[in-house]
Amino acid sequence: MSKLQERASANKWSSLSGKKPPSVGTVLRTTFLLAMTFVILAPVLWFVLSSFKDATDLGARPPKILPTRWAFENYTEAFQMYNYTRYFMNSVFVTSVATVLTLLINSMAAYAFAKYNFRGRDGLFVMTLAMIMIPLQVILIPIYLVVSSLGLVNTYWGMIIPAAATPTGVFIIRQYMLTIPDELIEAARIDGAGEFRIFARIVLPLCRPALAVVAIFSILWRWNDFLWPLLIAQKEELYTLPVALALLNGQLVVPYNIVLAMSVMSIIPVLFMFVFMQRQIVQGIAQTGIK
Amino acid sequence: MPYLFVAPNMFIFITFIIWPAIRGFQISFYDSIDGRNFTPVGTGNYRAIFGDPTIAEVAKNTATYVVFYVIISTLLSIAFALIVNEQKFAKGFFRAILFLPVMLSPIVVGLIWNDVLDRKVGPLNALLQAAGGGSPGWLVEPKLGMIAVIFVGVWVHLGFYSIILLAGLQGIDRSLLEAAAMDGATRFQIIRTIILPLLKPTTLVILILATIHGFQSFDFIYTLTGGGPLGATTLIVQYIYDRAFQTPIQYGLGSAAGVILFMIIFAFTALNFLLGRKREAI
Repeated sequence: MSKLQERASANKWSSLSGKKPPSVGTVLRTTFLLAMTFVILAPVLWFVLSSFKDATDLGARPPKILPTRWAFENYTEAFQMYNYTRYFMNSVFVTSVATVLTLLINSMAAYAFAKYNFRGRDGLFVMTLAMIMIPLQVILIPIYLVVSSLGLVNTYWGMIIPAAATPTGVFIIRQYMLTIPDELIEAARIDGAGEFRIFARIVLPLCRPALAVVAIFSILWRWNDFLWPLLIAQKEELYTLPVALALLNGQLVVPYNIVLAMSVMSIIPVLFMFVFMQRQIVQGIAQTGIK
Repeated sequence: MPYLFVAPNMFIFITFIIWPAIRGFQISFYDSIDGRNFTPVGTGNYRAIFGDPTIAEVAKNTATYVVFYVIISTLLSIAFALIVNEQKFAKGFFRAILFLPVMLSPIVVGLIWNDVLDRKVGPLNALLQAAGGGSPGWLVEPKLGMIAVIFVGVWVHLGFYSIILLAGLQGIDRSLLEAAAMDGATRFQIIRTIILPLLKPTTLVILILATIHGFQSFDFIYTLTGGGPLGATTLIVQYIYDRAFQTPIQYGLGSAAGVILFMIIFAFTALNFLLGRKREAI
């Protein structure tokens, strides 16, 4: 949706309410939305403040809003005495490699579905979409048995490969590729370009907006993913951030203030994405209903 | 050539989704504690699921959670979408705030609310006490635990559903609303007689998505209550997970529970697809 359209649709309703400033409705609405803002932001802010408290402050009754002493050591100790760097790098590695792999294989499949006629195409496409109906949760046990029989438990590839083929990614990129004129591909073929070269050099660059949406979602999914890495990463050195946070939280050897500091640091990259790519994320969700 | 292009994607689907799905169905008729030796038990696992009191408890928890989660999420997301849509002042800001929890890792969300709802040192009970109330054990008493889990579940997903509904609202023809306003219809009448009926297809999508999400809930509960207190917030996915990783290990029973969960999710996803196709046809 273009900026202009969006602005027009945003105005759609406001024009109904006329220009009398500020009506009872506006005041009620704004109050309501401010209350909502409080219910959403206050817990997050409380949590961030907690991460700067020492053990005494964390156990204080009644609880203190601000730390009596800003315990920055919660953060430094996460690096020095605990393996935060390791978990963070595991998350970065799994997220980035998986996202590149997802973009590659999803766009290849999307290209075949959008631009070739071949036997079984429609069947395979329907099958791809049908994969949405089998979420990880329902095949938890058999997939774990399959993955462990393949020797993929406790490996990075075990975390990366199985979830790399996303039905949603194929769908989004395919829909976008349908809008690329066939003549362009035909012309390249006449010029003697190979099939893979056409795909990599001509089609992919044209699909940048669709690839961007899939990349954003893949990063979000992978960074926040818990259940899958929990199954695969059973050794501490392979823990991604969510797995590390969930499992360390249950252990008495790791102080709670360190877990808090690690949690706050783990959401920073996602907040950056949120600030800079909110528009793409919101539009992606609105159009496809994916999450 | 096209087969080469689809091959990697299809290979992963077959190895890591289709094959496990078939295996899961098979295993659900067996008993196994190590994943290597399987003893056939016929429909024993399914009969156990419908007879075992522990599983009955899990089923009751899941049903309670899903029903309340779906109803509250749907009603609130409609309300929030309508309100945000009408807002002129700082609309983008409020929309962003509403959407923020969707971005957070569910694990961190569980930790956040675990901190906020703490009976002794949590800020919520401090507020309640300052207002003269007691200090309820949100994460200690079974009933309150379920309420906390439902509340946090809604808190996480509300922005997601509202965004989809907002897109639905933008699709409503403006001239209809203007005509009604010119005929002297009140804002409330416009909402009730024009907007809500036109929003019905989107609302249906929300209902279906929320049902699917409800049945899949696991992550944030893991760090919020861990399925407690006394198993009061153990839902079906955690039950399946525990059958593979906590004693007693029962791969067959867990797989059977997975098959049942699959049938539920399949039904709702299929419904979503069919309705989606119907919408496109109109």
